[in-house]
Amino acid sequence: MQTYGQEGALNTDTELSHVLHDSKHQAAFYVEENKPQDLLRSFISETGLSEEEAVEVLKAVKGGGGGGSGDFSASLTALELLQKEEELRSIVTFSSQLDESLGGGIPVGKITEVCGVPGIGKTQLCLQLAVDVQVPQCFGGVEGQVMFIDTEGSFLLQRVTDIAAAAVRHCSLLAEDDEQRAATETFTVETVLSNIFLVRCHDHVELLAELHLLPDFLSQHPKIRLLVIDSVAFPFRLLFDELSQRTRLLNGVGQQLITMAINYNISVVITNQMTTRIRDGQSHIVPALGECWGHAPTIRLLLQWEGSRRLATIFKSPCHMETMVQYQITPEGFRDADQSEMPQSKQPRMDTDQSAADPKETSS
Amino acid sequence: MVVLREGMCPGLDEDLLRDLRAADIKTVEDLVSSDIEGLAQKCSVSYKALFAIRRVLLAQHTAFPVSGADLYEELLSSTAILSTGNPSLDKLLDSGLYTGEITELSGGPGSGKSQVCFGVAVHISYQLKQSVIYIDTTGGLAASRLLQMLQAETSNTEEQMEALQRIHVFRLFDVYALLGCLYSLRSGGLQQASVGGGSVKAVIVDSVSAVISPLLGGKQNEGMSLMIQVAGVLKTMAKDFNVAALVTNHVTRSGSGEVQPGLGVSWSHIPRTRILLERVEKAAAVSRPSLRSAKLIKSSRQPCHIKEEFDLQWWSRSEKGSSGKRKLDETDS
Amino acid sequence: MLCTVYILEQSSVTVCASPQLLARLEARRCLKDIEPRLFPEDGGPDQGAVVELFGLEGTGKTELLYHLLCRCVLPEAAGGLEVDVVFVDTDYSLDMLHLVSILDSKLTLLAGADEAALRSCLSRLLVVHCYSSSQLLLTLHFLETTLSSRPALALILIDSISAFYWVDRCEDGVSYTKQEEKLSRCAELLGRLLRDYRITVFATCHAIRRPAVPSSSSDSERSYLCRSWQRLVTHRLLCSRQKPGNNVAGEGGDDQEQRRHQIFTVHCTTTSSMVKASWSSSFCVTEAGVEFLLESEENKCAARQ
Repeated sequence: MQTYGQEGALNTDTELSHVLHDSKHQAAFYVEENKPQDLLRSFISETGLSEEEAVEVLKAVKGGGGGGSGDFSASLTALELLQKEEELRSIVTFSSQLDESLGGGIPVGKITEVCGVPGIGKTQLCLQLAVDVQVPQCFGGVEGQVMFIDTEGSFLLQRVTDIAAAAVRHCSLLAEDDEQRAATETFTVETVLSNIFLVRCHDHVELLAELHLLPDFLSQHPKIRLLVIDSVAFPFRLLFDELSQRTRLLNGVGQQLITMAINYNISVVITNQMTTRIRDGQSHIVPALGECWGHAPTIRLLLQWEGSRRLATIFKSPCHMETMVQYQITPEGFRDADQSEMPQSKQPRMDTDQSAADPKETSS
Repeated sequence: MVVLREGMCPGLDEDLLRDLRAADIKTVEDLVSSDIEGLAQKCSVSYKALFAIRRVLLAQHTAFPVSGADLYEELLSSTAILSTGNPSLDKLLDSGLYTGEITELSGGPGSGKSQVCFGVAVHISYQLKQSVIYIDTTGGLAASRLLQMLQAETSNTEEQMEALQRIHVFRLFDVYALLGCLYSLRSGGLQQASVGGGSVKAVIVDSVSAVISPLLGGKQNEGMSLMIQVAGVLKTMAKDFNVAALVTNHVTRSGSGEVQPGLGVSWSHIPRTRILLERVEKAAAVSRPSLRSAKLIKSSRQPCHIKEEFDLQWWSRSEKGSSGKRKLDETDS
Repeated sequence: MLCTVYILEQSSVTVCASPQLLARLEARRCLKDIEPRLFPEDGGPDQGAVVELFGLEGTGKTELLYHLLCRCVLPEAAGGLEVDVVFVDTDYSLDMLHLVSILDSKLTLLAGADEAALRSCLSRLLVVHCYSSSQLLLTLHFLETTLSSRPALALILIDSISAFYWVDRCEDGVSYTKQEEKLSRCAELLGRLLRDYRITVFATCHAIRRPAVPSSSSDSERSYLCRSWQRLVTHRLLCSRQKPGNNVAGEGGDDQEQRRHQIFTVHCTTTSSMVKASWSSSFCVTEAGVEFLLESEENKCAARQ
């Protein structure tokens, strides 16, 4: 039995839904599509709807049925997909080791989740990416805008300005030909800041509402290439009456995000907190929001301490093997760990720098 | 429900239809279940005519019984077993994916479900030279990874491209789109895909739980209904077109901490074979993070709960051979 | 092609009503002795009985169903009943290859059995696939013709009767009775066929809830299908899987050993108006299908664990 009528948009009465549900019947309507007047007439006579309503319903059915249609216009061959993937540039992280292990940076058209304990540098990475996504194309960047959804209140303007200034400086040093020199004219701290759309969501209801409205915003701002949610865990870790309700909502969020990522060619970066789980009598630190949520991100990046070193692990990814790289947080932002210097001597100082910048450090 | 319409069968004209409606007979089901003799009187048609209409309608809409012997005969000639390309998995599956059946892979995040799907798709398209439908509902499909796997098989770029072209990808992110796609595949789309290259032999849905689980729970039945519909169309498609259906599912943890496949009890009846994938968390596995264990948790052909270990890098192994695989010994615990 | 053949067959029936009448009166094979180990003494399913097999996934329903099916279609020489069976496959789950392997293993016991013997077994089986409850209803109507033309047909198997439960629940608006209408109609029709043709019906029903507390019989075992179906059921077989000891977390070889000797339990309750009785039996599944355990053997098995 075919039930396109399940779609909420279709407000059909029972009898009408019978008509729609009947597969043979539906096939008949599809066949008759060439003769729209006949179709409409027979449809009206059967359902007793007004002509207007009938037109509406048929449109909805056609749209609903055709939207996910299995006719092959909706499909790609893997070869076409490969070409598409190659056209999309990745967003560099300014840590060459991490970029290399990710195959060029944070990919566009996918969801990347950054997990880690407070103070490890999740927000720093997000802010860095918000700046990096704007790097002009002639420097190998994506040259896009960014939508930043802040749920924890951790978006600090001063920090963004610092990172942006460092990135601008970096590009102007690299500029060689005329094109690149011209690009640096417009790639300034001011333009960087003006290309960041910031939204503050205080709880999960606001976040869900924002995500619901986002597709419209994205179609109005086609230059947006990055969506950051920092963090998705915070609003959902508050008390929920029912744990299953949270899981359901989160699953829905995951599907919404990937739809946007693919349809608008944006990279979605979300951060997640860590939580302790007791298993087999041992405690493990695992990403929060439950196991089900773990399926939503395409790539999972785990940031963790090892002694005083900061390590980033690609924990889950369809196209990369599990790898581990070291990084550091400098005043300029997210960078490779400096191998030449002794990291131990440098790291503690950076830590205090960062804790001043990152309010999470003090709040937790 | 099949609504009665003019011209559905000889003798069912406008007048009769009106009379039938007046007698509260609106659907084929109503007509077939009704007392024909009484109805004929009410609608002032001859018993014989109405009986003939009933007979034709019944013949049009019933499912026909087929002799078991014929069915077996047909099955023997049409059933194919598609190797997954990985010896350990083939061993669990009794030599591969059977056409006409649904096979399920379940596992937590990063347990290698998608990787196995990629491997199967590549193996079927390159080694068996057949087409594959790959329905990606999580955005997890990376064509670059498919290419990587193909490069391990052959260095001939042309062959790689051909194999990639035999994999048809649908990217659908909600259950309505998935249902629509499956319905139209069943009603002819599958043959369409077969035109270029070999016929479609496998339909992969990665993952089925991603689109269904947001609708489950609470007091709504709609999610359950949609889930069963997805299952129904997958099963009929697998049977009617003789394709193997491979779906992935997430896992949940029961109160006692035991891992079990998601989507609940009603879904558990759907797949014929279920495999649970897990990361190997052993000291030996630290150096090889791509090691996974696969456990058979439902099968009609093999004893359940047999376990195999395999390496996700198997599909991208070099020509050197099978160093990437290690069987689990009976004594290994 | 097939379609015309059936219409012809049907018309021949309507033209002369006497064969139909004859078919009705002619005694169909009674299935009381289909599996004495499963039903209480003298309480096997008589003509007109409806047996419901109820249980979760992995509790041996399908194996049991195939076992009963094989007993019906096997020749008398191989310990079968040699009757015709209609298999209504609403789940699209009939595993023909598996069924044949069970039949094969039983037939090998018979001297001189060959491919032809298997074929004659299979020809006693009629399979029909249904994809919706409407089609199920229409198909059952259609099967009336088959019933009247094949007096050897004694059993209808429905796997499963609960297949369309969720779809129906969602389809017909808010009214509960409306949602259940289709299955009610099927049940009513089945009731008439049972009376008129003196056949037996076996149907599986999938449990839709996991028991909250494993050992307690509660909500999860209650039938959730419509009343007219429940009224029809005369025997209820509750299938369950015996937990292999309390050591759930046991992994590795030890665990595998236990699983190989997985024991399934069936609890039968008869609810016919004459007698109320209950009966328990256990079986394990081997290469050759279901193997019932005698009381002592069961203990032995338990001891081995």
